[in-house]
Order: sequence, then structure tokens, then C-alpha cells
Amino acid sequence: MTLTGLAVRNVLRNTFRTVLTVVGVAVATVAFIFLRTLISSWADASDFAVKDRLMTRHKITFVMTLPRHYIDEVRNIPHIKVATFANWFGAKDPKHDKEFFANMGVDADTFFKVYDDMVVPPADLDTWLHDPQGAIVGDVLAAKMGWKIGDKVSLESGIYPSRPQWDFKVDGIYTTKGRSVDRSSFYFHWKFLNDSQPAARKDQIGWIISRVDNPNDTANIAVAVDKVFDEKDTQTLSQDERAFTASFLAGLSAVLTAVNIISVVILVIMMLVLGNTIAMGVRERTNEYGVLKALGFSGQQIALFVFGEAATIGFAGGVLGVLIAYPFVEIGIGRWLEENMGQFFPYFRVPPMVTVTALGLATLLGLLAAAIPAWVASRLRVVDALRRVA
Amino acid sequence: MSEATTEAGTKKESASGAIQIQLRGVSKSYERGGERLKILSELDLDVREGSFEALMGPSGSGKSTLLNLIAGLDRPTSGTITISGKRIDSMSEGELARWRANTIGFVFQSYNLLPVLTAVENVELPLLLTKVPSNERRKRAETALRVVGLEDRKTHYPRQLSGGQEQRVAIARAIVNDPAIIVADEPTGDLDRQSADEILALLEKLNTELGKSIVMVTHDPSAAERASVIRRLNKGALE
Repeated sequence: MTLTGLAVRNVLRNTFRTVLTVVGVAVATVAFIFLRTLISSWADASDFAVKDRLMTRHKITFVMTLPRHYIDEVRNIPHIKVATFANWFGAKDPKHDKEFFANMGVDADTFFKVYDDMVVPPADLDTWLHDPQGAIVGDVLAAKMGWKIGDKVSLESGIYPSRPQWDFKVDGIYTTKGRSVDRSSFYFHWKFLNDSQPAARKDQIGWIISRVDNPNDTANIAVAVDKVFDEKDTQTLSQDERAFTASFLAGLSAVLTAVNIISVVILVIMMLVLGNTIAMGVRERTNEYGVLKALGFSGQQIALFVFGEAATIGFAGGVLGVLIAYPFVEIGIGRWLEENMGQFFPYFRVPPMVTVTALGLATLLGLLAAAIPAWVASRLRVVDALRRVA
Repeated sequence: MSEATTEAGTKKESASGAIQIQLRGVSKSYERGGERLKILSELDLDVREGSFEALMGPSGSGKSTLLNLIAGLDRPTSGTITISGKRIDSMSEGELARWRANTIGFVFQSYNLLPVLTAVENVELPLLLTKVPSNERRKRAETALRVVGLEDRKTHYPRQLSGGQEQRVAIARAIVNDPAIIVADEPTGDLDRQSADEILALLEKLNTELGKSIVMVTHDPSAAERASVIRRLNKGALE
């Protein structure tokens, strides 16, 4: 028998209460891991942005379009290696009208050159390039909608009502090499879209995406691009992909601040649950602590027992929480978020650092929660403690 | 100042060793509800090495307080306590804890065994504070259980033992680190007559065969009769 063994026996003394506390800590840990993963995934979307990719949009808002000829001018600006463009299509599949996914008309010849972190099998890409009504869809979206190569897909767009229904054929399915790219998007030929527009809406593009030759000079090149259009009717705003993604997600920042606060509140709740259990245990064992002190155990040793017990419960709850969180987040809700909110959370996986932090915090908060009970236990007068009936 | 008295008619001779426990002018008082309660008053006491002494007296007379002071569980308000030549009233909490671990064996009325530990683990408990290796600790604990006749119950938990057996385990725990003094606070108070006799016989054996000094608080005259010296306390003073 050892002092550690004694501490462990005490943990298991009231099994029901210990199990409830461990489960309580585990639930709090799962919630913490989920919320931190949410924040981390959101940050990933901009952190993993490609540094040499420049986004140019209408200066007022990205909802407003740019003239088609702007792309040619951008391509002629020094340090721009390649440029493409896209239009937000805002359509839904009437068969799945509750499913939201990003769909865009893109410049077929250049789009996948700019987005070389998207991987389309060469044969499928070739098919698509020669198919005016072809579409390339993300693997996550294809799996969700049950689409396969060769399937016909009809979409309805509120932004482009010139056709009641837009018919496409799935020519390819893309995967990605990077974490900043949504795997649930739907791309088709901008030309198909443009050809169907009335004269007043023709030759308009949503935004321009370029690759620059020096990733460290993206900011200066962005200024140079905007300067070209400074004196024109439609001015532009160019940002690197990271800033563009951040501005696109800016609306979410208040929500994410709230999520941040909630994750801290969860930690406080975890500490209170642990503190309550530890305080109850100390109160019940006052007499035993008196006996231990009478036998020669010091106040510090008694405090160590209490801290050891709290840390064990906290750690056990943390481990259980991590074991639950992985399948819950990665297979369950994480996959759902990638499929349904891929623009915001393209890569929803529990970062190892969040796991380590959760485990560390569960243990640390156990120790913090035990601080007052341990202090009380260590300061007990032996004669008073021995008089206390458990 | 009260003199220690050996009652007439005690069956055994008083121990003739050196003075092991010496109290001089010891007073103890508590504050309770704004009132100062004097529990012990200017008490002098000498207990010789190898003595078996019983402390008797009515409830509230200060018996347990006196025992707690001798055992280093409490501190006097004034006066000095010297045990085996060491002043314990001026020791720090840490020093006192270490001193208790090496010098005193405790036997409580309600046994006070740890319910999560088996009999042998309970006995081993005081040895956790020493540098004795674990296999040696276990051997010593088993030896102590053999002394109290409970070797065959070593893997039993307290809830699986009778009151008398629990108290014997507590006595084994009290002697496992070979203390010079055993203090026993109403060791038979919760036991039936037969179990009480067994415990008292065991304490006698520890006193006579192992030479342990024993100071025992009891209400029970027949328990006190086993002691070599009976002291009576009344209103905080030895009669």
C-alpha cells in the first residue's frame, strides 16, 4: 500500500458520486472541445489561406459586380501570374431545397489554375472544359446529395431568374489539398451563365482571384491593382485571401466571441462541479483526516491527498470527455458542419492542441477546485477533527 | 498542584522505571461562546516508563483533554509537557506530527480504522511515514496483527470485522511502529464485556510483555482495575 494507493481508494470510495462527477467533467470537456474546435476551425479558414492568392471585389461590397473587362486589366498588372473570376449564383436544388451549398459560375480555363489546391482528375477536368453545362462539385457535397459523375442536376437561382431551371451535368468531383477550401461547392461555366443573361446583366463578374509572383508582397500588389481602377466608375478592393476570408466571416465574429465566453463559462461550471464533490468528500472524511494527523501525517500530506483526489477525478473526466469528443465532433457534428457550413468551417477536426488543453484544464481545474477544501483539511485541529462524526 | 495517586488495592505493582511523562503546571482552557472554560488547572503529573495508568473521572472532568495533551494532539494554555526528556509543548506542528509518528500509538473508542483499507493496510498506515521498504512494511504489519491474534483477518475490511476485532486491528496499528507510549481513549467504550476483556488483556500483554507505557482513559471501573495506577480527575484537577 502506498500514499497514492490510499488517495486512489478514496476516489473510489463513493463510486456513484465519483462516476457522476467524472461524467459531469466529461460532458463539460466535450462541450469545451467542441466550442474550441469551432473557433479553431473558423480561424483555420483564414490561417490556412493561400498567401499569394489575391481577391479583388467591388469596393462597396462583394455582392456588387465588376465589369468583365476588369479581368483583362488585372491580368496585365505586373506581378500577377494568373487571374480568374467567379460569380455567386445563389441557387438551390429544388429536390433538396433545405440544403445550402455554395454554387458559382467560374472562368473554366483559369479557375483551377488559380485554385491549384483543388484536385480534379485530369480526365474529368478535360470533360468539363468541353461541356458548357458541366459542373465540378466538392466530394463532401457529392456524398451528401448522392451525386455521381454523369448525374443530371437542376438548380433554381433567385439571383439569376432568367431561366426557371438551370440544368447541369456532374463532370467531375474535386477534393482538396488545403484546409482553406470548402469541399461542398458547386462550380460551372460562367459563360453558360453569361450567355443566358439579358443584355443589361451581361458581362458582369462577381470577383477576381489572382495569384501573385511574390507571396510576401501581396499587400503592395493589392494596392497596385486597386490603383488601376481608382479613377474608374467601379472601384475595387483587393485583399489577400486571408483578409478576404476574414471579412467574409466578419459577421460571425460576434457569435464566435460569444462561443469563446461560453467555453470559459463551461470551465467555471466544471470547476464548481469538482469543487462540490471534493468539498463533500473532505467534510465526510474530517474524522479520518483527524486520525491520519494523529498518526503523524502532516497538514501538507493531508492537502496532497485532497489535491490528488481532485486531480484524479478531473483527469479521468478529461480523458472520458476526449474519448467521447473525438467521435462526437469528428464523425458526428463535425462532418455535418463540413457538409452544411463548409464555407465557414471547411475543415472541422479536433486540433491536438485543443485535446491537450482540455485534458490539462480538467486536471488543473480539479486542483484549483480542491484548493479551499485542501486548505481546510490541512488546517484541521486533530482534536476537533476526531470529535467530528462522519 | 495535584499529586498523582496510586489507588489502594491495585493488583499490580506500579512501574519503577524513569519518569517518562512529566507535566508541570499544565492548564488548558477554551473560549466558547465568549466564555473562557477552564478544563485543566495547574496540573502536575509524572508517569514512569512501563507504567499502565488509567485516568478516570466524571464526564467533563478533563480526562480526554489530558490524554490529548500527553499525546501531543493539543497544546496546553500554560505549563510544560516533557515526554522522554523532550518538551513537546514548544514543538512546531510539523515537529509534533513527526514526534507523534515515532513515539505515540493511538487507540480510539470508535476504532477509527479507514474503511477503504483492509486490516493489514490499516495497520501499515503509520509505516507509510517512515522509510521502511514496502515488503518490510507489510511484514511488520502482519507481525502486529499476529500479536493481536488477527493474522487470519488481514485481508478483511473494517465492515467485515466485529467491534472487538476492529479494536484489535486498531491496537495493531498503534504498536506497528514500536512506539514507547500507547494512549487509549475509552478503548472498551463501544464493546461488549467479553470483547472488552479481550482488549484489556491485550493491553496488559503489551504493557507487561513488550514494556509499552499505557495511558488509558476509561469510565469502566473493571477496565481501570487492569491498570497499575488509577488516577482520578475531577473538575480539571487530579484528586
